[in-house]
Amino acid sequence: MKKIVVLAFLFLSVSIVAQKYYTKTGKTQFKASVDAFEPVEATNNSTTAIINTASGDIASLLFVKAFNFRVALMHEHFNENYMDASKYPKATFKGTIIGFNFSEISDTKKYILKGILTIRGVEKEIETFALFSKKENKLLMQASFEVQPASFNIKIPKIVRNKIARTITISLAYEFIEKK
Amino acid sequence: MNLSKKNKLVIIIVLVIAFGVGAIYAYVMKAPAKIESKKVDFSGTSDQLLIKILEDPAAWQDKIVVISGKVTSIDDNGILLSASIYCQLKDTTLLKKINPTNDISLKGRIIGYDDLLEELKLDQCIIQ
Repeated sequence: MKKIVVLAFLFLSVSIVAQKYYTKTGKTQFKASVDAFEPVEATNNSTTAIINTASGDIASLLFVKAFNFRVALMHEHFNENYMDASKYPKATFKGTIIGFNFSEISDTKKYILKGILTIRGVEKEIETFALFSKKENKLLMQASFEVQPASFNIKIPKIVRNKIARTITISLAYEFIEKK
Repeated sequence: MNLSKKNKLVIIIVLVIAFGVGAIYAYVMKAPAKIESKKVDFSGTSDQLLIKILEDPAAWQDKIVVISGKVTSIDDNGILLSASIYCQLKDTTLLKKINPTNDISLKGRIIGYDDLLEELKLDQCIIQ
């Protein structure tokens, strides 16, 4: 009897541990470029994200200052004027992949990703499609969605208004590995 | 070549404007500073840094540090140092050369304390 209980606990703990996939170096990119002007875009290669493959819950976190720009001045303005990165260092997302079923993913599978995006302390609901596939022992996710700076109380001065797109596209490319 | 006074003046003005525009362009379009040349804000062991971070995490954002510690694990993009500091390498091809049993010293930028994984995160790391 004791043995069975011990075995049952062993299996239980194994299944709980094996349910999580994570990345520390997810790629999050935003594009707010307008044709004919200097591209306004940056990539964050250090996004953390965790998926619970049993429930489809997903949580991610990135540090605003870790966005890489090609131009130093743009980086400075982004952190100080628009994102207020010292006051709001993080942007987070918490949500669910609806109908997520880890075992049915092989080639590319499309799911609806729904959740709350928090930027500058302002929460906004996001709903978009996310594409999942498997490569070797990794779980790959790709998604993109659009946001408006005004939704997060980001004010864009008149002088640069024509050079920054009104709608900003955020795209994600995460390679999850199993959490052991 | 004989130039009138007026023409000389025009040439000088054009040159000055061109130089000015060039200087402004160079300032505006300057690339971000490289990690190699940045000033170090802290130097010590990974444990010493963690104590300081936990005291005041906000003060350490974007700071440049040189830390040494034990390699806990290595993945495709970086090294986990002393089980609690994740260092994303600038040049990931160097990861193959790292001996996981040795201590290592790295220069990198602190990006923040990741409370999802409970690790401190560094990027742009270079091996010292």
